[in-house]
Amino acid sequence: MSHGHGTYTRIVVAITILLATVTPVLAQPPVKITLWHAMGGARYDAITKDIAAGFNKANPSYAVEPLFTGSYAETVTKAIAAIRAGNPPHIVQVFEVGTQTMLDSGAIVPVTEMVKPGEIAFDDYIAPILNYYKVGGKLYSMPFNSSTAIIYYNKDAFQKAGLDPGKPPASFKDVEEMGRKLVASGAARAAITFGWPSWMLEQSHALANRLYADHDNGRNGRATRVLFNEAFGVEVLTRWKRWADEKLLAYGGREYAPNKAFLSGEVAMLMQSTSQVTTIEKAAKFPVGTGFLPRIEGQPAGKAVIGGASFWVLKGKGRTPQEIDAVVKFFKFIAEPQETAKWHQETGYFPATRTAVALLTTQGWFAKHPNHETAFKQIQEGPDTPATRGVLLGNFVQIRNITDTAIEKALSGKLSPKAALDEAAGEANKLLDEYNRINK
Amino acid sequence: MARSGLAHAVMVHALLALGTAVAVLPILYALQISTLGFQDVFVFPPRIMPGGAFLDNLTRAWEKVGLGRLLANSLAISLAVALGKIVLSVMAAFAFTYFGRFRGKGFFFVLILITHMLPLPVRIVPSYQLMQSFDWINSYQALTVPFFASATGTLLFRQFFLTMPPGLSEAARIDGAGPLRFLFRILLPLSANNLAALFMVEFLYMWNEYLWPLIITNSDDMRVIQVGIKMLVATDAQAEWNVIMAGVVVAMLPPLAVLVLLQRSFVRSISLGQEK
Amino acid sequence: MEGRFPNRVLPYLLLLPSVGVVLVFLVVPSIQALRLSLFEVSPFTGRGTFVGLGNFRELLASDVYHHSLSVTLVFATAVVAAGMSVALGLAVLASQPLRGLAMYRVAILWPYALSPAVAGTIWALLFDPSTGPVTVAIRTLTGSSPNWMMDGGYALAVTVLAAAWKMLGFNVVFFLAGLQAVPAEYREAAQVDGAGAVRVFWRITFPILSPVTFFLFVMNSLYAFFEVFGLIDVMTQGGPGGATDLLIYRLYQDAFVSARWGIGSAQSILLFVMVGALTVLQFRFAGRRVFYG
Repeated sequence: MSHGHGTYTRIVVAITILLATVTPVLAQPPVKITLWHAMGGARYDAITKDIAAGFNKANPSYAVEPLFTGSYAETVTKAIAAIRAGNPPHIVQVFEVGTQTMLDSGAIVPVTEMVKPGEIAFDDYIAPILNYYKVGGKLYSMPFNSSTAIIYYNKDAFQKAGLDPGKPPASFKDVEEMGRKLVASGAARAAITFGWPSWMLEQSHALANRLYADHDNGRNGRATRVLFNEAFGVEVLTRWKRWADEKLLAYGGREYAPNKAFLSGEVAMLMQSTSQVTTIEKAAKFPVGTGFLPRIEGQPAGKAVIGGASFWVLKGKGRTPQEIDAVVKFFKFIAEPQETAKWHQETGYFPATRTAVALLTTQGWFAKHPNHETAFKQIQEGPDTPATRGVLLGNFVQIRNITDTAIEKALSGKLSPKAALDEAAGEANKLLDEYNRINK
Repeated sequence: MARSGLAHAVMVHALLALGTAVAVLPILYALQISTLGFQDVFVFPPRIMPGGAFLDNLTRAWEKVGLGRLLANSLAISLAVALGKIVLSVMAAFAFTYFGRFRGKGFFFVLILITHMLPLPVRIVPSYQLMQSFDWINSYQALTVPFFASATGTLLFRQFFLTMPPGLSEAARIDGAGPLRFLFRILLPLSANNLAALFMVEFLYMWNEYLWPLIITNSDDMRVIQVGIKMLVATDAQAEWNVIMAGVVVAMLPPLAVLVLLQRSFVRSISLGQEK
Repeated sequence: MEGRFPNRVLPYLLLLPSVGVVLVFLVVPSIQALRLSLFEVSPFTGRGTFVGLGNFRELLASDVYHHSLSVTLVFATAVVAAGMSVALGLAVLASQPLRGLAMYRVAILWPYALSPAVAGTIWALLFDPSTGPVTVAIRTLTGSSPNWMMDGGYALAVTVLAAAWKMLGFNVVFFLAGLQAVPAEYREAAQVDGAGAVRVFWRITFPILSPVTFFLFVMNSLYAFFEVFGLIDVMTQGGPGGATDLLIYRLYQDAFVSARWGIGSAQSILLFVMVGALTVLQFRFAGRRVFYG
């Protein structure tokens, strides 16, 4: 009997000691890290309820606190203000055009320096997604929401015009021929429209494996001169102008404004970001098809470029080792196959890793949603060169405004394509000079 | 007399109805979109009749961004700023009109007036740093105190006080009343219309403020309504206009209530009575 | 013409809160920002090179800046003229001593309850070149399909309309309040036939309204020059092809979005000087003509 009592006592004591040591750890408030992002609408739920809540549940000693901080531009400016005031967030989401600015900021911690080799399966990442944010072999930011551009088309309109609804245009010539049939048959008021004119110009260059700026697209030293006003760029804009003159192109404004024209059935084809694929399918009352971006005939084979945004880690005073570990664990979480696959399904952004893609394939996701696979297939094909990795420019936001203006001037006939692009290149180069002076 | 009276009334109503219809059309359009289902927003030709999805859209908007808290925050700061602006600008306008010349008068007047000429986007980072130094980041003080001075109100009341007959203040002085008593007993009651008008525009101005609250607040519970509306607009995704407009409708209700309550004050007649 | 009180200290005390707030929260940060106009700085460190008047020289020599200046002047004139004249008409109508006008007053003030971003969004939807109800209406009535994303003049017109529409409520409110000073018998003057009504308006109503009109003239001008960047950002982003590229929008892009603080601050100073000069002129000329009774 005394043995039984003794054992029992020892067990109780052991459990008490165990609880005593473990409870203080469990009773600690979780280590908080802040994440500033620009994901509104349906994405707000995805990032808050799925990603952040999911991470917090899987890592009870850490808590990531996402905060919506406006548009991408507003988020960057708010981050700058916080950095200057000395209380920056841990992670900030920055659009891809802000990459050069962040690289030169002196305010970031490169991902490569934070993550121990092998801790996150970067080898499993789909190469173009990683390569955008890699300079000189070092990964600076954590890819999160990456997209590219594709062509969406109205299958009903195609059928009405006597075109094969399974065959999207592959070249500019296809766009013209198919477009004429679409308009002539009354299947649509106009053949094609596109958003993000500057980005489309950049895509055209990448698809033809041509550099957009010197110094290997700014990846081998800072870019000093843009190249979009050379013969190729002028050719692209001239073709677009011809589409406009033939009333095939119905320019609907920058960014996402042209989507309404496509969704209403007024325009049969739309060149737009793949981040829209889920919501465009949901919003359209007709079957939507997708295809690779049409290319200009007779050009070298290139590849479409990545767009979207990534997570940057900001330096901060008094960051504890636990906070840094929390950030790393968070990045590891979003790289997990089921997480990045779920993010893709909810939003249309790329699944970031090959394992995630395999997971989605086995689930039959791509078979049921072929449009989601189009973008992914497009970035698999083609060489990996500086021209296809994406251009890095200082003052990139302003340069995009300048090229948007030039494209609009050319399409409306105010300037010839060559004059418009020359004017834009002149201003862009001045901006690059200013940027390089400041960031010597 | 009666016939021309009727014709007059009809003409006034007709013209007003036309003008009002044009003014209100965009808002009615927003209202209509808020009643549609997602796909119906994009059909062509565009739908004119309302749909039945308003409650659905409203619920989604409300839950997604926590409209309740946002409305409360915006209500609190808009009231505080409107009142603050009225108090400070009445005081300032009174000083500019009833004390003759004093040193610095012109300089101070210009100083208050130029507040409209110093755009926020330019001074955003130094302003943020200032708030940091006061330890006011993410606080109600940061959302309200910087707005308390008002060029609009100061100019408005200066104009109004200048129309007051000089005999008014003379009479008060003869009676032995000091300036403050004159202000409270005589001037303010006469200013009722302008006070109501100023309250309305300043309340609405603060209600619609987006950029400063976005930059200066760092937590969900300090968020204001305009940032909440922006949150409903999807970055990189096709905007769900129906849900967004449902949020917009809700965001319009408190200002609308203020409008309805105050509009009678704009047209209540005042009689200057006395010496005239 | 004002009766004066003899106190010497009281005016300063009355002004202290306003002046204090303005100095601390507006002027000091502005000076910190505006001194950067003499530099080219990195936003992350605040360090940069002194370039003296280089930023100003660059702006004043730039074709883009000149174009922006002319667009801004056209825009501001149109917004002020359209906004104030329509508002005055509506206010005069709505202040008639008739029954049932309250609902008009509320309805006209309603647009002021929208934020610039929301207002711009709704206008953009209304005028969408493919699906907007207004575009469709114009197409049905006239057969032409105006596309404000391609036609700069049309884009400017639409943004002017949106900006003036937004200020309608503000203008009507103060015109209504100001019309209260007009004796009732003159407000019914529209009952008098034709020319008589117009004469009464110009001889009696308008002078009595002049203090409010001057106030609105100054406020609308400041609004047109400084407060519309939110609207432009949502509707046209300065396009198409720079047709709506207002000075305040360029300033917002450079100072806020691109964090080019040197050139942004220089633009702010230039705009300040321009509008300041305009306001001085307004006070000098229009201000002198105001009839305070």
